[in-house]
Amino acid sequence: MFATSRLLCRRGGDRPHALWDFNLTVGEGEIVCLVGESGSGKSLAANAVMRLLPEPHVRVSQGTISLDGQDLLSLSEAEMRAIRGDRMAMIFQEPMTALNPQKTVGWQIDEVLRLHTNLNKAGRKARALEILGDVHIPAPASTYNAYPHQISGGQRQRVMIAMALVLKPRLIIADEPTTALDVTTQKQILKLIKDLQQAQGTGILFITHDFGVVAEIADRIAVLRLGELVEQGPAAQILRSPQHPYTRKLIAAVPALTPPPEKPASGEPLVLEARSLRKTFAARGGYLSGKRNPVIAVKDLSFQLRRGETLGVVGESGSGKTTVSRIVTRLLESDSGEVRIDGRDLISASKTELRALRKDIQMVFQDPMASLNPRRRVVELIAQGPIVQGVAKDVAHARARELLSLVELPPAAAERYPHEFSGGQRQRIGIARALAMEPRVIVADEPVSALDVSVQAQVLKLLADLRDRLHLSLLFVTHDLRVAAQLCDKVIVMSKGEIVEAGPTARVFANPEHPYTRSLLDSIPGRDWEPPVCNVA
Amino acid sequence: MTHPDTSVASRPLPAASPAPIALPDIDLAQTRSLVLWRRFRRNRAALLGLILFVAVVLMAALADVVTPGDPLRIAGSPLTDPLTVASNPWGTDQLGRDIMSGIFHGARISLAIGVVATVISIAIGVVIGAVAGYFGGRIDGALMRVTEAFQTIPSFVLLLTLVAIFGSSIEIIVIAIGIVSWTAPARMVRAEFMSLRRREFVDAARNLGVSDMSIIFREILPNALPPVVVFASVVMANSILMESALAFLGLGDPNYASWGNMIGQGRAVLRTAWFCSVIPGVAILLTVLSFSLMGEGLNDALNPRQKR
Repeated sequence: MFATSRLLCRRGGDRPHALWDFNLTVGEGEIVCLVGESGSGKSLAANAVMRLLPEPHVRVSQGTISLDGQDLLSLSEAEMRAIRGDRMAMIFQEPMTALNPQKTVGWQIDEVLRLHTNLNKAGRKARALEILGDVHIPAPASTYNAYPHQISGGQRQRVMIAMALVLKPRLIIADEPTTALDVTTQKQILKLIKDLQQAQGTGILFITHDFGVVAEIADRIAVLRLGELVEQGPAAQILRSPQHPYTRKLIAAVPALTPPPEKPASGEPLVLEARSLRKTFAARGGYLSGKRNPVIAVKDLSFQLRRGETLGVVGESGSGKTTVSRIVTRLLESDSGEVRIDGRDLISASKTELRALRKDIQMVFQDPMASLNPRRRVVELIAQGPIVQGVAKDVAHARARELLSLVELPPAAAERYPHEFSGGQRQRIGIARALAMEPRVIVADEPVSALDVSVQAQVLKLLADLRDRLHLSLLFVTHDLRVAAQLCDKVIVMSKGEIVEAGPTARVFANPEHPYTRSLLDSIPGRDWEPPVCNVA
Repeated sequence: MTHPDTSVASRPLPAASPAPIALPDIDLAQTRSLVLWRRFRRNRAALLGLILFVAVVLMAALADVVTPGDPLRIAGSPLTDPLTVASNPWGTDQLGRDIMSGIFHGARISLAIGVVATVISIAIGVVIGAVAGYFGGRIDGALMRVTEAFQTIPSFVLLLTLVAIFGSSIEIIVIAIGIVSWTAPARMVRAEFMSLRRREFVDAARNLGVSDMSIIFREILPNALPPVVVFASVVMANSILMESALAFLGLGDPNYASWGNMIGQGRAVLRTAWFCSVIPGVAILLTVLSFSLMGEGLNDALNPRQKR
């Protein structure tokens, strides 16, 4: 039904062709997953099909794109506009930015119908309400009149899907449609896409970087690497026995869902202990807007961390897990409670005591770009902590250079600035900076969520390795249960600021007791798929 | 936020560690300024500004070589027209003082006033804006009320008041200009700080035990400076204008040949000897123009979203 052949896209930059010899077909009622890491050109391929490339810098230099036998590249812009939305539609990654914040949901669906159909006003409204019902939006009539910011992220994505489906298009291109969503919402959205696609026989080109999602939804898989398709074939075959080394590498990097075996209760000393932490964000109303209710971010939270142990804090967005990491490092003042490091309380420490205590508890941040001062060289970034603690500058710099090799970066990296590194390398710098203080505990707040899977695997391996060699304790905050399974000895599951379940990872994952934990575990994409053990060349 | 990651490094690493860094070995500080210069050079107007600025600086530097002697001494017959007498090529004023000499020596005064007043106003603005933006809350509230108090009084009226109270020596004038023009830089620095203090690298520094003052001035300030540098050119142009306006009203320091003084005195003979006020007027115009053109060019060059 839909095919591209020998598609070449030209652009300036790191390679002469952004896409090279790109042949892909999507059949009727088929879901084809286009998989690749960042920079592989997968979003570019989608935009090329929709003819939404930023021409003339990036254009299709050779090849054909056809939909039902019709060559899209030969169409005029006006003919193309008639096809977009009508016979092919797109679902974007971030529904908040893809929807116009100034218009109601109903208006935006109505616009699609107004442009492409001859329905009258009442007919359009009826159709819009019907499609909102089809995507399982509770109370379609009230959502119809709501503005995008008034509905939740999952509902916004449903609205996007409704807009894409309302004209029953032949082809839908979904560009990472669930990446910005929580796992439980992701599961519902994936199921919705699959159900509707089966009912309408639509072909879907589904772009993703997540092999779990692929395992969940794909009929066929195409793997893209630096603009070239390295492998494509039926989903079952590629997921079970990938042929190309790059595909193998990608699949091998997917963390297996098998947590480490439960360790016997160790006699290791207690390093970090949190007792009944509590944090409420007072919502500051203006003089005129009246009072808003304060938000309870963390409610009566306690945990213990022993030496050499890794404690995972898992939960969905808004569960308060990031607040926990900020309170424990006292970047955020808690309302009450204690955080003890080797018996010394961090929460009640004075300014000078705090400075000494900070040495023992260090943090690795989520966004490796934002957490490194862009105006400082790497060696200064790493040595900064020890210098503040009173170490002589040349000693600290020498130590910083040693740490670079510990995090597997070349010595030449010392003299460079953060923007010259890739995401994974920057995160290594962040880890080196934390290690420079020779801490007892490292608090890692989603340290790998901004990274590609293969890079993710390396950084996780490095963290685990350093933890074992240096007898560190890790407090690991993550939304990704696969990552938690990989690294954590124990987990606490948080929901709405409270711990709903805690225990050794193996036990919690095998026998979740709380319904929330169970739904989280059920929602892991591709949970039934066991990644094959491949030999990575 | 998108990362300003347009360089070589955005590609994922190969599986095997250690990670190689495929970058040519070059001196980074040097390339940075080179890139800036290349971007600046592309803007023709900015180049014109730079040329004018260099010309003014040369005038100030060579004043004693080209037009030696006191610019306030009598150097010819009064009100000589320009281009008539070889020793007074730009003519003389009603007291017979050489206008060319006045312009060259006046360049020194104007530049000095511009630079010193700008340094004073930017320094006050940076400290107040940084403290207000970083700490927020009550401190911010208090400092911003003070700023607003200054902003509600028209700055020139405040300047007149200060000069009327403290006298019109050149030092007082410079300090007074600095005091009336710090509010805009303060607001600008505050806005920059409010967005930068939420960035993770600030948390990272706090987590290392870095003190607040050190975070403000060594971590955040370098990142907040580019727009301030650009704005400094506006402040500098304004300072020169303010000094001229003061001198025009007869409140300048009479012991120095400033351009404003020359216009102020030339005003009396404007209908018979236009050149007495027009020549220094053009000098002020071109100098102020040079600053604003350069400022605009710097703004473009320092904008990180621009390609090299």
